[in-house]
Amino acid sequence: MSPRREKLTSPQTRIALARGNRPAQHLLPIPGPVDTEAARRVFRAQRRRALRTVALLSLLLFGSSGALAALPVLGHVRAGGMPLSWLLLLAGIYPLLFLLALWHVRSAERVEERAEEERPDTGGRPWPRS
Amino acid sequence: MIGLLLVTSLVIGVYGVRAARSTSDFLVASRRVSPNWNAMAIAGEYLSAASVLGLSGLLLKNGLGTMWYAVGFCAGYVAVVALVAGPMRRSGAFTVPDFAEYRLGAPRLRKLCGCVVLVIMLLYLVPQFKGAGVVLSLVSGTPYWVGVVLAGIVVSGSIAAGGMRSATYVQAFHYVVKLLFIAVPAVYLVVHAGAGTRAEALHPEWGTHFPRTTPVEFEVDTRFGLDEPVRVTTPDGTGIELAAGEHTAAARTEYVFPAGAAVPHPEGMPDLGGERWSRPLLNSGGFPLFETWSTLLAITFGCMGLPHVIMRFHTSPTARTARRVGVGVIALLGLFYLFPAVYGLLGRVLTPQLVLLQGTDTVAVVLPAEAVPGAVGTFLTALVAAGAFGAFLSTSSGLLLALAGGLSHDLFQGSVPRLRLAVAVGSCVSVLLALPAQAIDINVLVVWAFTVAASTFCPLLVLGIWWRRLTLPGAVAGLVVGGVTATGSVGWSILLPTPPGLGAALLAQPAAWTVPLAFATMFAVSHLVRPPDWAEHAVLRLHSP
Repeated sequence: MSPRREKLTSPQTRIALARGNRPAQHLLPIPGPVDTEAARRVFRAQRRRALRTVALLSLLLFGSSGALAALPVLGHVRAGGMPLSWLLLLAGIYPLLFLLALWHVRSAERVEERAEEERPDTGGRPWPRS
Repeated sequence: MIGLLLVTSLVIGVYGVRAARSTSDFLVASRRVSPNWNAMAIAGEYLSAASVLGLSGLLLKNGLGTMWYAVGFCAGYVAVVALVAGPMRRSGAFTVPDFAEYRLGAPRLRKLCGCVVLVIMLLYLVPQFKGAGVVLSLVSGTPYWVGVVLAGIVVSGSIAAGGMRSATYVQAFHYVVKLLFIAVPAVYLVVHAGAGTRAEALHPEWGTHFPRTTPVEFEVDTRFGLDEPVRVTTPDGTGIELAAGEHTAAARTEYVFPAGAAVPHPEGMPDLGGERWSRPLLNSGGFPLFETWSTLLAITFGCMGLPHVIMRFHTSPTARTARRVGVGVIALLGLFYLFPAVYGLLGRVLTPQLVLLQGTDTVAVVLPAEAVPGAVGTFLTALVAAGAFGAFLSTSSGLLLALAGGLSHDLFQGSVPRLRLAVAVGSCVSVLLALPAQAIDINVLVVWAFTVAASTFCPLLVLGIWWRRLTLPGAVAGLVVGGVTATGSVGWSILLPTPPGLGAALLAQPAAWTVPLAFATMFAVSHLVRPPDWAEHAVLRLHSP
């Protein structure tokens, strides 16, 4: 009655399982990219964006907690009956985190789109699209 | 109430098993469903007893700063989206040991990673069992240990019955259950509480008083301080005058506090509603900014190192969708984390005695019945209890499978019977460790797991993905140094006497120094040898669209 179940393993796990206890002779061969220079450019562009997002995330987290520590007045000013510092912590940070992640995704996707466009159409892909 | 809880859990369980059977295969199913469903599934698995019970309990006990944990749990996914989601999906690795083998080409690293997975998973499982034990013993009135053992049997049974975690829809369904079961009672309580209680909850400076005549039975010897004298009665009717100052109540003493009396504060804890309580920073040792920052660092960067989080990236068809799913998870977590604070804030006004009983982890379950008398309150309490039990069930079965997988596959080459055995062993060990953990807060243990993940797998993944020159000796040295220091120092702070002052804070919240130490070790030791020729290809492939 129940459909057939398939056992799923990642390629690396399959290799490790097939290997058993024998020491590894060779691993999954990693194909080199067709255009190494282009791949390096994409990598560097993505790394810049990742660093920028992590820096902004740190600024947001450590900055907002630092502001609460440095400005006790935030606990005395009330907005809608609730201390401003509580409002910031209980509800204010989540939308900012969401927007930051959204922005990162957009900009990382733009890098990928540009790389796709620039790739000379030689018919062969450097590796299957993941 | 017990019946309702059991029926609800049973419905969740039956639905879960049925859906798992009718889904032909985890991967295909998840590729057919939209990223939104996938995001709900991830959030459903991620929200554990720490979020459903631990946050509100710790807020009641330690104050507003507790909600930084929730911010960290959510911010962790920003780091995941920015640093690991896309590249992990492209690597084709399901687990961290898989990734380590892909990137560094060393099968022996797999065993070391397997050991780290075991430590993290055990540290994460013990608080889940504690939460389940607390809820079960509260609802059914049995002793704590019965609840923990029962929870162990239920989880092992549910995995044996068909592994309900593998179906995306079931996990998504769990997210909806957790959100509704915590949000609906919260909204009802806020509306029903009345303007007076609401204002009192938002004005901690008015002081914390018993809302009605409250019997308090101390379960362990408790030292507490009183700001003003109070006349309490013992159960046999004799009155005792307690003067202002320090008092010690022996175990099994019962005092009945009159309505309106100020709530005494137990030794070593912040004054309920006092300056330290209402200031939104984590402060248990006198270094609020250090503690907040160190905890944020541990949780935000520990999230990407949690084995059951990593595994989930593979359910997206492309790296691009994996990132988008991560953004969806942030939205869903942000929505959920609006509600636990309600229980903590109202709990200070309506059930302050929990602080004296050292049972604050139960506040979300106890509060509705206390706040709303009659059948509605009982129903709401059952709702929260069922939500908490669902959280426990979904998270811990996922964790247990990850632990068993690590045990049977990465450490010992094993087959399916071995996996079953590993599930049994894993749950036995977790139950045994959870028994003496009753007095430790759920979130302390969960942050311990995050700290170890942030000090081990986080540098391995971040440097492995973004730095071409990471080498095998560097990775091994960093994992060992980070794992030993993070596990050791939190363990020391919980189990052994700690040095006073900054030393205690550095031991209890070690992420501020263990995470940079692990990164530095990996960086420095990697420079000792040359990376192999294919290392650059392995890195570039992770970023190629």
